[in-house]
Amino acid sequence: MSLVQMSVAVEPAAEQQRRSSLSRWGRPALGLFLPLLLAVGWELAVRAGWSDGRLVPPPSVIYATFAELAKTGELQRHAMATLARVAAGFGVGVVAGTLLGAITGYSNFAHRLLDPSLQALRAIPSIAWVPLFILWLGIFEASKVTLIAVGVFFPVYLGVMGAVMSVDRKFVEVGRVFRLSSPQMVRRILLPAVLPSYVIALRSGLGLGWMFVVAAEFMGASEGLGFLLVDGQQLGKPAQIVAAIVAFAVIGKTTDWLIVGIAAPFLRWEDRFNNGAGAS
Amino acid sequence: MLELDRVSKTYPNGVHALDGVSFSVGAGEIVAIVGGSGCGKSTLLRAISGLDTPSQGRILLDGEPVTQPHERIGIIFQEPRLLPWLTVAANVGFGLEGRPRAERNERVAKAQARVGLSDKANMWPRELSGGQAQRVAIARALVPRPEVLLLDEPFSALDAFTRADLQDHLLDLWADLRPTLMLVTHDVDEAVVLADRIMVMRPRPGRIFEEIAAELPRPRDRQSAAFDFVKRRVLAALDRSLQRAKTVDDTQTTTSTGAALWW
Repeated sequence: MSLVQMSVAVEPAAEQQRRSSLSRWGRPALGLFLPLLLAVGWELAVRAGWSDGRLVPPPSVIYATFAELAKTGELQRHAMATLARVAAGFGVGVVAGTLLGAITGYSNFAHRLLDPSLQALRAIPSIAWVPLFILWLGIFEASKVTLIAVGVFFPVYLGVMGAVMSVDRKFVEVGRVFRLSSPQMVRRILLPAVLPSYVIALRSGLGLGWMFVVAAEFMGASEGLGFLLVDGQQLGKPAQIVAAIVAFAVIGKTTDWLIVGIAAPFLRWEDRFNNGAGAS
Repeated sequence: MLELDRVSKTYPNGVHALDGVSFSVGAGEIVAIVGGSGCGKSTLLRAISGLDTPSQGRILLDGEPVTQPHERIGIIFQEPRLLPWLTVAANVGFGLEGRPRAERNERVAKAQARVGLSDKANMWPRELSGGQAQRVAIARALVPRPEVLLLDEPFSALDAFTRADLQDHLLDLWADLRPTLMLVTHDVDEAVVLADRIMVMRPRPGRIFEEIAAELPRPRDRQSAAFDFVKRRVLAALDRSLQRAKTVDDTQTTTSTGAALWW
């Protein structure tokens, strides 16, 4: 009898431990399954001679190109150039989007004054600005950074404005009952209340930043990952194109993950329906 | 002393929520306001808290007009309204910012112990049950030591057992500092358990319909005959307030007093 009880008592604990170690390593691994299957499949297909892999290079060739570019320092130089542009554009766009979004969300007057114009500007496809930016700012860094900043601005602006406008009246009333001044209300109620949406706005802004840096580098650059793309196309080097795309994916994902990681300690309080599905 | 002087409220959409409500509440008194839904009882409480301003009339706290949230008036809402980004302890101490840390910690710890949640100090509001969250809200409202504490149907979202428990608890806390309590409720039992005086309101527009004294000895036995008697009086008054609002004009309501006269 006692033996049966023992085994009943022991098994769930062991089971639980096994499951938790599975969830620590198993869940991320599950996400890798599909891409790895495709990569291995394509590699085998090329090795087997079913395709020459000239236009769609197999992983081994991409890796070789990647390693070659990295060894000569080319990859780092181009990646740094692109990263610097995104960083500058993202910084400008985030600052402008946050300020204007906060103002138009907080003040009805500012909303009525500014929001219609900004929404009209938002309706213009940002790439349409390119010729004008080149005329105004030249073909070098300034016009590229401006284009990226414009791309980053709108999602951040919209996100911040929407978040500030939809802060729960009930929390604001708690602030009023405790007689918070306007700056205190912003710091103690509004800022924490908008933080979850703000992180999402920053992430979608960053995503657009990475999108527009490619557009900016297409319009004439001598360095940058976008340049590697154009160069690969013009010289017929598909492996170089894919290598640049992979670099985009890695750096883009890393920067996104940085935002999530930095924000995470401030968002532990969130009461979400699914705490396991968050981006990782 | 809290005085209401012909307080009226008409909302911008034309709803006439309150019409000439006047009464006064002495220090340390417990007053319950009951009434059918839409009789303006929450509007009245929000006006006293300073969150809304009356369209006409004045609210005076010791002769001083109340036009915005006042440091001597606290309020507990129907929902706990804990700030989800603050821990339990930080929520309790929300009204103490700007005071020395040592004093703050001490008062927060004391308040938490008083509502029996010392072990929950570092939890997030999402980890609390409904009753625990409302206890934290009570602690948060009491920590700045208000002289008037307003409660807007504070226990209506809780189950009967938790509710009775929190009612007793509230009386316990009240006994410490004896603030004036003004409680809006639609639960007649709750009104009779807690209040010294029960105001019955009638709707459209909201007015005081009848005032019933409930001077039963404390602690009150919910099963006693005296309790039942007061409860019946309140229920009868409520009944009349709702029927008359529909059928009888004002001049008649003011002349008759008892339930028997109505028939």
